[in-house]
Amino acid sequence: MLYPLRRHGARALFGVTRLSSGVAADATGLVAGLVTLAYLVVAVFAPLIAPQNPAATDLGMRLAPPSAAHWFGTDALGRDALSRTIYGARVSILVGVLTVGIATTVGTGLGMLGAYFRGGIDAISARLIELLQAFPYLIFAIGMMAFLGPGFWNLIWALALKGWIEFYRLARGETLSQSTKEYVEAARAVGYPHSWILLSEILPNILNTVAVLATLRVGYFMVLEASLSFLGVGIPPSIPTWGSMINDGRNILFVAWWVSTIPGLALLVLVVAINLLGERMRQVLDPHAKSTG
Amino acid sequence: MRKGSWVIVLAALLGLGPLDATGAAAKALSFVLDAADNRANEAQAIVAQLGQVGISAQVRIWKYAVLLDQMKAGQRAAYMTDWGSAYFDPFDLAEPKLTTGGRGNFSFYSNPAVDKDLRTASSTTNEAMRKAAYLDAQKAAYTDAPWVFGYVLQNIEAASSNLDGWVPAADNGETVYGLSHRGGDSIVVGMRTDSIGTLDPAIPPTRDTESVLRNIFDALVAHTPEGKVVPQLATSWRKVGPATYVFALRSGVKFHNGDPLTADDVVFTFERVITPGAIGGKSSPRRDLLGPLARVQKLDDSHIRFEFSAAFPEALVLQALVHFQVVPQKYLEQAGEAGFVAKPVGSGAFRYVRGTVDSQIVLERNDAYWAGPSKLKQVVFRMMPEPSTRIAALLAGEVHLIQEVAPDLVGRLQASPGIQVKTAEGTRSYEIELNNKMAPFNDPRVRQALNYAIDWTPILRDIYHGYAKRLATAFLPSGFGYDSQLRPYPYDPAKAKELLRAAGY
Amino acid sequence: MRLLGALRRVLLTVPIALGVAVLAFFSLHLLPGDPVQIMLGDTKTSVEQIRSMQHELHLDEPLHVQLLLFFGHLAHGDLGTSIVQQRPVAAIIAGAVPATVELTVATFVVALVIAVPLGLVSAIKPGSWIDRTMLTSSLLGVSMPAFWFGLLLILVFAVDVRVLPTSSQIDSTIALERVTGFMLLDSLLTRNGAALASVVRHLVLPSVTLGVVFAALLARTMRSSMLEALRMPYVTTARAKGVAEIAVIAKHALRNALIPAVTVAGLQIGELLGGNMIVETVFSWPGLGRVVVNAIFAKDYVVVQAAVMLYAITYVAANLLVDIAYTFLNPQLELG
Repeated sequence: MLYPLRRHGARALFGVTRLSSGVAADATGLVAGLVTLAYLVVAVFAPLIAPQNPAATDLGMRLAPPSAAHWFGTDALGRDALSRTIYGARVSILVGVLTVGIATTVGTGLGMLGAYFRGGIDAISARLIELLQAFPYLIFAIGMMAFLGPGFWNLIWALALKGWIEFYRLARGETLSQSTKEYVEAARAVGYPHSWILLSEILPNILNTVAVLATLRVGYFMVLEASLSFLGVGIPPSIPTWGSMINDGRNILFVAWWVSTIPGLALLVLVVAINLLGERMRQVLDPHAKSTG
Repeated sequence: MRKGSWVIVLAALLGLGPLDATGAAAKALSFVLDAADNRANEAQAIVAQLGQVGISAQVRIWKYAVLLDQMKAGQRAAYMTDWGSAYFDPFDLAEPKLTTGGRGNFSFYSNPAVDKDLRTASSTTNEAMRKAAYLDAQKAAYTDAPWVFGYVLQNIEAASSNLDGWVPAADNGETVYGLSHRGGDSIVVGMRTDSIGTLDPAIPPTRDTESVLRNIFDALVAHTPEGKVVPQLATSWRKVGPATYVFALRSGVKFHNGDPLTADDVVFTFERVITPGAIGGKSSPRRDLLGPLARVQKLDDSHIRFEFSAAFPEALVLQALVHFQVVPQKYLEQAGEAGFVAKPVGSGAFRYVRGTVDSQIVLERNDAYWAGPSKLKQVVFRMMPEPSTRIAALLAGEVHLIQEVAPDLVGRLQASPGIQVKTAEGTRSYEIELNNKMAPFNDPRVRQALNYAIDWTPILRDIYHGYAKRLATAFLPSGFGYDSQLRPYPYDPAKAKELLRAAGY
Repeated sequence: MRLLGALRRVLLTVPIALGVAVLAFFSLHLLPGDPVQIMLGDTKTSVEQIRSMQHELHLDEPLHVQLLLFFGHLAHGDLGTSIVQQRPVAAIIAGAVPATVELTVATFVVALVIAVPLGLVSAIKPGSWIDRTMLTSSLLGVSMPAFWFGLLLILVFAVDVRVLPTSSQIDSTIALERVTGFMLLDSLLTRNGAALASVVRHLVLPSVTLGVVFAALLARTMRSSMLEALRMPYVTTARAKGVAEIAVIAKHALRNALIPAVTVAGLQIGELLGGNMIVETVFSWPGLGRVVVNAIFAKDYVVVQAAVMLYAITYVAANLLVDIAYTFLNPQLELG
């Protein structure tokens, strides 16, 4: 079984290289890519970059405005906002990436299976999904977080459980249209097993659209995490996330605008960059796709 | 983005260290400190302090409802709680929190001697004996240290400078009768609650509801802002027995619909509260505030007798009666429960005009008020649970008085022209309760160690800007029987370590 | 045939709403926390009293019994009584819905006013400075957390520069007769100019907060679908035939461009409902969103169940409307 993997690996690498150069060919794409990369670097090397310990409280220096000593000021416990913002990048990025990863995998997998095999399961899942979609998400999220308790993985699951439906629909739609194509008929006629057809033939063909959607959704989930933290059902406060930092500053907006505004800006810039990246990717990979923003 | 680079990044993120960069080494004593949103900052500051003494603690933030459930089930170890007292007496604070099995006793503390003291204090009418009992209880509680004793927060409110005659009340009440406004005769009050729940004085479980209702309805007695009891509908009272009191009713008082207020209304009001199922099939949740009240009887048109089934001190009787406003019997029986709540009629300084309990309540001056009409023609109580919204509204001149200003924002308000900020002694104690039935806090030495290990000074000074006062125990300085000689646990890390060592940590 | 499809969809609403209510019921009941305790707080109430209150509310019965009671009441049109407010849920919801509806309508108006002209112009003149500005600002719009934006707006427009009010629906000092419950309508019906002005002023910030995000999405969609439509052969044909540019745009391209826009609008209903909750909290807007959020934290099952059902019905109804709009825009499509 190694051969198809190697083949796919090589194909993938080639595809990614082509994608990157395609994206970078456009000025906006290049800038967006660099900004995203910069955020990633900052997140990974946070302990080396952050000037101070993000957990170091200093009650005497509470709510200090931005200054030479604290470029972004301090928060309600005297912690350096710059360091917290830098560490916050880690969690926000991880949340976005992991959530999208899980939602994509689950959604795409189920969607492909549903579309390929049709039948009773497909019909039932369609109804179930209608039910799930009609349930107001925020209530569901608050309920889930209150039930499971605060925590990083609980939040990821709560977010992913909302996101997978989109990928399910997309994968299902794409798989349906692929299933009727000749190469699939041919493969079935020859006698290839279903799993091979799904993984080696159909998946690579729908991967482009899925990848574009995934990239565009990373930012969305980061913002959703911020919203949940705003309502107080996000990640515990000892771990800095941009969402909970915005929430922390919400009641002291008039005396310490920097506590809420700066993490919000950090989030905004990253999400804009990722969205731009996603748009550019779509132009490169799928120039004829209908854009739905 | 390169697919391969994601893998590298993920590996690096996970490998280069924990997400929160705290590197507290695990020592012997380690526990989880639970808190609700409102004390998250304080909890983290405390945990940081404990770390310096070698105690490793972690903060966990909960939604209050969920935490309450777990606390009561005895599943948590240490939790930050607070408890308000509707009385100016330990009867409503120390008692529910320190008696064995008390309603507010989340620490599962049990000391029969303390139980006896508290029981004595609520059932004897000898003031000296009551005081002695409370002093005794305080000393015992101090030594037992069932909690980490904390502080009482001052009640900070802010108003427009044009508002005269305003003094914040210690019990967060918002009685606007004595106020006047130089910019007009109509004011808006920004309330901190999102809903006052009901307009029926027999039902409300929260003091915010009562704050609004006290403007529409009068009670037999009332509180001054400092917490003293003064006559309102009752002109005088006397004790005729260890468990019996007679109140003299003021004459000539009329309800907003013109009906005269008589002793019958008073009797009706209280029977409605103490009789189960008397409010449209439901019972009043405030019944126990009246202690062992057994019967209310009309002696004549202007005298009512209150009979208790056990000796009940006069101070507590008065404190209880503050919270029960008189409702009109005739009107209520005619309109029915639903009708009464839809259009309440009382005898207070303001009459109800319109409103919804979760948005705003509009009141208008009662020109026939027995104490003389208020200088204000219209008062609106607006529900504004978002603190920053309240402050913004005050700054913008949309409201004239707001409740509960966070200490961090006082500076900004004081710096604004046209705003005045005032404080009052608070009636809410804030502490860290410890589960006395669960290790490590079943050992009194560990509990005491914790009391010595926390330095409240920077917390009260920096986080609360000095608007808080240390408490030695669960007894409030504004309450009866407070032991001012008892000093709160001092900050003594050496003593803390010594106690921990003795306890085996 | 179209009618049958529509009918089927309408009938499907019922089981969906019920299914959603059951989900809400079970999830809330599995959550820790007792509404009676929460409501009572520190009030001096004995354990027996608490138990009797719980009994009155049937909270001590097994779950399936409570569920049956709920459906029983529902069959009689009784949505139950709020645990916290001791008022009928129907009254609470009826009191709060108009405010949310007004906010949603205002949001739509803001979004359409911004998005449609911008989307059209950008599509007609792709690459121009208008187009580029629109793309950039809409990108910002979709990337922004709504509550953060709302807070900023309050900070700038209501506190620093006191042009707009900070919260609520109307000045407390203005008396508005309640005819329909919809403040805009009521102030028009009772010819109350001061009230009308006040309500509009109060609507500005919250609807802009939600509307900008919505507009960003709508504008991008309109732009790309207009671009697609303008590339279609029939457009080139029409141009070649000498049809005026405006006619070309209005008659041919616009209609086809509206389809994806309508889809997006329909899909966003769910988002809008959720966004409402957060924005209503920030602006102390007396709508259903705020009621629901408070009810969840107070574990007021009754209110949350009813609200969730209402949201589900709204969501399904909105989708249905979108599908119907489709068939009008494109008669070739079948319903259901």
